[in-house]
Amino acid sequence: MPAVADRARAPRRAADRGRVAGSPGLRLPADTIPVAVLTLVGIGALAVLALWWKDTFNVVGAAGWLTGAGRITGLLAGYLTPLLLLLMARIPVLEHKVGSDRLARWHALAGRYMVCLVAAHILTIIWGYAYTARKSVVNEAVYVVFDYPEMIKGTLAALLMFGTAFVSARAARRRLSYEAWYYLHLTTYLAIALGFSHQIVNGADLDTGPARVLWSAYYVIAFVLLGWFRLFVPWRNDRRHQLRVAEVRPEGPGVVSVILTGEHLDELRAEAGQFFRLQFQAKGLRWTANPYSLSAAPHPRFLRFTIKDLGEHSAAVARLQPGTKVRAEGPYGAFTAGRVRARKVLLLAGGVGITPIRALFETLPAKRGDLTLLYRASWPEDVIFRHELESIAAARGARLRFLVGPRSEVGDPLTARTLSKLVPHLNRHDVFICGPESMATAAVQALRECGVKRSHIHHESFTF
Amino acid sequence: MRRAIVAGTATVSGIVLLLGLKPHSSGSALGTSSFSIGSGSNSSPSTSAAAPATTAPAAGNGQSSSSAPKSSPSTPSTSTGTKVVTGDAADTRYGPVQLQVTFSGKKITNINVLQYPTESFRDQQINSYALPILNQEAMSAQSANIDVVSGATYTSDGYAQSLQSAIDKAGA
Repeated sequence: MPAVADRARAPRRAADRGRVAGSPGLRLPADTIPVAVLTLVGIGALAVLALWWKDTFNVVGAAGWLTGAGRITGLLAGYLTPLLLLLMARIPVLEHKVGSDRLARWHALAGRYMVCLVAAHILTIIWGYAYTARKSVVNEAVYVVFDYPEMIKGTLAALLMFGTAFVSARAARRRLSYEAWYYLHLTTYLAIALGFSHQIVNGADLDTGPARVLWSAYYVIAFVLLGWFRLFVPWRNDRRHQLRVAEVRPEGPGVVSVILTGEHLDELRAEAGQFFRLQFQAKGLRWTANPYSLSAAPHPRFLRFTIKDLGEHSAAVARLQPGTKVRAEGPYGAFTAGRVRARKVLLLAGGVGITPIRALFETLPAKRGDLTLLYRASWPEDVIFRHELESIAAARGARLRFLVGPRSEVGDPLTARTLSKLVPHLNRHDVFICGPESMATAAVQALRECGVKRSHIHHESFTF
Repeated sequence: MRRAIVAGTATVSGIVLLLGLKPHSSGSALGTSSFSIGSGSNSSPSTSAAAPATTAPAAGNGQSSSSAPKSSPSTPSTSTGTKVVTGDAADTRYGPVQLQVTFSGKKITNINVLQYPTESFRDQQINSYALPILNQEAMSAQSANIDVVSGATYTSDGYAQSLQSAIDKAGA
């Protein structure tokens, strides 16, 4: 089955590459898929509201207003929940066309919004029911929780949801390791499963026919896609590719490259600029899948990743032994040649952000003289891949500039003035940025001042 | 933070707008048309001494008493001018409502709810308080021209329809 699917997809991929090299004007704008996704989400929300509208005869008195608000917020929260799963289901078209970082941001925003909707739903429903029954809010709350069917489960779901929201809140997250946060997050799957039955049994709009079937199918599909792309596909790839560590090579202070080897790696169809989530099967690393960018063009036998020592986890990576098995999820990310619309390309790297940029510098289709790389680092020893970059630049006829020195000494090189001096015809470039968030923000602002269109600035952040 | 405020404001105003666009009057359960019992009847409902208490539906069970067939023709049991008429089952969004009405002459003396929506627990909750109110309204109005019970729009509507059909049958 997979082989058939692969063959079917192969010509389309070839066509993609052909178009990158060909005339850029004929391609769809880069934001077509993200806009389409958001439109679809909006239409779905309208359909849910229409369902409520159709079933509601009138809204009478405080009870009517409160119960109505409770039903609307409940429906919207229930609609949003599977969407949150789908955003994180690693669906290839979304990963590739929208980008993992943007999906993660959408997921975080929608997640917070959903928790607020659930809170509003609980408050207004109980309050509204209390009005209708002429009981106190507390009495009605107890009654709803213990006497309404499936509401014990619904209550547990809400508590789990609020617990996760609390733990994920920025302040708390700082005090929590990535791993602990990650596993607490998994309890939300349980919450979603627990919360489902009360919607079907008590939901006034979901108790009959097509609405009920569609709603259930929507939840089932979300869970199936999640299981398929996050469990089954990685498991299958694991068996097929047999990835293991070939070499760990120091690149600079606290920076190592990990070279993986495996079978049939060309079938992964990884592209420069993409990343994998790697799970090294070694002590202390086994249970976490961290995102790492390819730092060289993918090779049928080897994949190279470069990792900066940012904590205990990366330090353990530096001590990995050759032969260690690796479980890889990916490739992910839309930070690829597919984004290019202009003839000229500028790559902007900051610090260890050079990792994906290094791979793009090697592979982006561009004529001699059309490709420029600006590499910002605070200290000379922080510059990695210096020789590799120089030889790529020489071979491709690309321009390469190192902008080295602390800001206090050299000033900020990423201003509109400096950039336009360094790169002629800046507004005719596609720009790829990878680096610390502060640098990226400053660079985007400077580029906008120079007249570079927002749709020509491609930025991938790795703050998950 | 700004985004949160925008999203919150947009959501609240959206919901308020949606709720605001719906009609807010409870109005008559039978909508615009109002009915009354048989033309020209001069029955004076309030004068009757001690109307028999209406039968409240058995809690938690829509088919209280005998499960009457949905469109059973009225079966007037004529003894001392008392007629028991089963109204048509009125389909509502949440299930059928069907009444059995006892007439003494032209006067409604008892209303028995044979069927009402019990699909969900919420339906049962709503109808357990709405039906007694509707029974009371109908007894004192002596017609299907009764007010909607708030929170039980659909049941009120079905109730009035079934009652009207029973009245029509009794009058015929």
